[in-house]
Amino acid sequence: MPQPSGTPVFQFENVTKIYRKGAMETHALRGMNLTVHSGEFVAIWGPSGSGKTTALNLGGALDTPTSGTIRLEGVDLATLSRKALSRLRRDRIGFVFQAYNLIPVLTAFENAEAVLALQGVAASERRDRVMQLLKDVGLAGMEHRRPNELSGGQQQRVAIARAIASNPAVILADEPTANVDSETAEKLLTIMARLNEERGITFVFSTHDPRVMKYARRLVGMVDGAIATDEVKASGE
Amino acid sequence: MTGLQLVSLAWRNLWRQRRRTLLTLVSIAFGGFLAVLMTALQDRSFADFIDTAARMGSGHVTLQSPEYQDAPSLIHAVAHSDELRSEALKDPRVAQAVGRISGQIMVSTASDSFGALFIGYDPTQETPETFEFADDLVDGALFTAPKQKGIVLGAVLARNLGAELGDKIVFTMTDHSGKMVQNVQRLTGTVATGAPSLDAALCLLPIQTVREAVGYADDETTQVAVFLKDGRNSQRVAAALRAKLGSGVGVLTWDDVQPEIRAFVAMKVGGGRVMEIIIAMLVAAGIFNTIFMSVMERTREFGIMIAIGYSQTQLFLLVILESAILAVLGLFSAIAVSAWPYYYMSTNGLDMSAAYAASGTIEISGVGFDPILRVGIFPENAVIIALVLMGATVLAGVYPAWRAGRVQPVEAINLV
Repeated sequence: MPQPSGTPVFQFENVTKIYRKGAMETHALRGMNLTVHSGEFVAIWGPSGSGKTTALNLGGALDTPTSGTIRLEGVDLATLSRKALSRLRRDRIGFVFQAYNLIPVLTAFENAEAVLALQGVAASERRDRVMQLLKDVGLAGMEHRRPNELSGGQQQRVAIARAIASNPAVILADEPTANVDSETAEKLLTIMARLNEERGITFVFSTHDPRVMKYARRLVGMVDGAIATDEVKASGE
Repeated sequence: MTGLQLVSLAWRNLWRQRRRTLLTLVSIAFGGFLAVLMTALQDRSFADFIDTAARMGSGHVTLQSPEYQDAPSLIHAVAHSDELRSEALKDPRVAQAVGRISGQIMVSTASDSFGALFIGYDPTQETPETFEFADDLVDGALFTAPKQKGIVLGAVLARNLGAELGDKIVFTMTDHSGKMVQNVQRLTGTVATGAPSLDAALCLLPIQTVREAVGYADDETTQVAVFLKDGRNSQRVAAALRAKLGSGVGVLTWDDVQPEIRAFVAMKVGGGRVMEIIIAMLVAAGIFNTIFMSVMERTREFGIMIAIGYSQTQLFLLVILESAILAVLGLFSAIAVSAWPYYYMSTNGLDMSAAYAASGTIEISGVGFDPILRVGIFPENAVIIALVLMGATVLAGVYPAWRAGRVQPVEAINLV
């Protein structure tokens, strides 16, 4: 397996996840081992049912593994209380979902600001940071629009701004380009790649979109709940 | 996240389904209106009823001989009734205190005889607030002095006796030692209270005429009737007077003297409370439905909120705040809906005379209900209704709020 440079952000150690429904068991992950380092731009790819979304959910502390250990910045997630996990998601993890998932009653500004408000960041600082972020993702002038007044691509940009607002250790993006057209997908990926380049933000995608894989610098291929390939692209590739 | 931001979010969430929220507010307002109207009708009619009973009887608080309650005979008199009146009037909750002599009497004319209840009263002490019969005169005149010739009868009693104004009425009663005494007066007036049983057995006499007939001293009475500014203070005032006057004087409240009225009021108030609880439960069920639906519809959103860092407690508080805002808005809606009908019913009232005429006069233990229905809620009951309304609304949100806080993010986010 390749060993990218940087500090480990999150580590999967022999992680399994079994979903049980009645007598039926579905093995979503079968002993997954993966380490993502800071500053990486990783795409976990594979066919539907290969376990990539499950891996993201587990890494984002939204779900618990059946066995194995997951560490975020060296901390074993299994040792944390619900409250501590809530703080961890708020402070160290950013999420970008396939279906945008903004809070519909909040404006673009307020959606992007929400995590900072949860962190207790002062209002003036929140305003400065969020306005800059919205500008960075190309939404200057649209701060006061609600999600239903924005296109799918614009909503996803707000979701990206929300995810990076708190300076998290890693951003987990689950099929972020699945619901947008090609042009918008390219723009979103450009934005995320730039944020990765300029700010050193770690991105981990689950995807089967070739465009994402084109931008990714590390490709982790999954089949049937296990990592089948793990490839770091050569620089300039 | 500050509380203000959470309140702002809750407010906006509430108006996502504007029509549903408005319908919920209408149901809260209507529930509040019903509760206010029912309670106000009950409060006013029973307060008036008790006041009427007190005026017809022996006050909100009665001072009498300790033996009189068990053996209501003129043998058991209260000496120095003027001193007792003075003591009672020192209490700021007391509006008036009057001396009265009451008991059983036999009234006769040449054609017939009937047993009756007599009240010997001092017209110079009585006021419209203490003397129920001032407005009930149908013929002749009431007394104006403590010593005056004449007798006033209930209109039905006079008719049964075949007596007209100016006719001689012979009356027989026991004196202060238990011996039979007889007197004769001319009929000077008739009264109709609206309570048929009372109108058929009421006899009014000037107090001094009675004293002379039964051999009482000038300040002897059978009762000192104490009237309060607010009849609900009767227990407290009675306790204060008991402490002040000692065991030599029997101190009773209106409901000790007329336990059948107490039982009737308690039964009606209890029934009213049950109705209020049913209304509160119906309102709460409507609110629960609204909030629960709203939470279930937002399961996915709550999953996202947990994913981005909202805590379970914050989601719980968010939904509780939505309920609380609904409660406050509901309260104002209820006030708005109730204000005009309440004002109209408290000033003009609803004339039920026609209904009473069809079904006969409403009378309990010789006390008639006013055929004009009016409202007047006791302030503490208004506060209770407001608290119950708001409490039921907020409580209805507790389970949905708990559900919101327990959302599993992975399952919720994957909901389509």
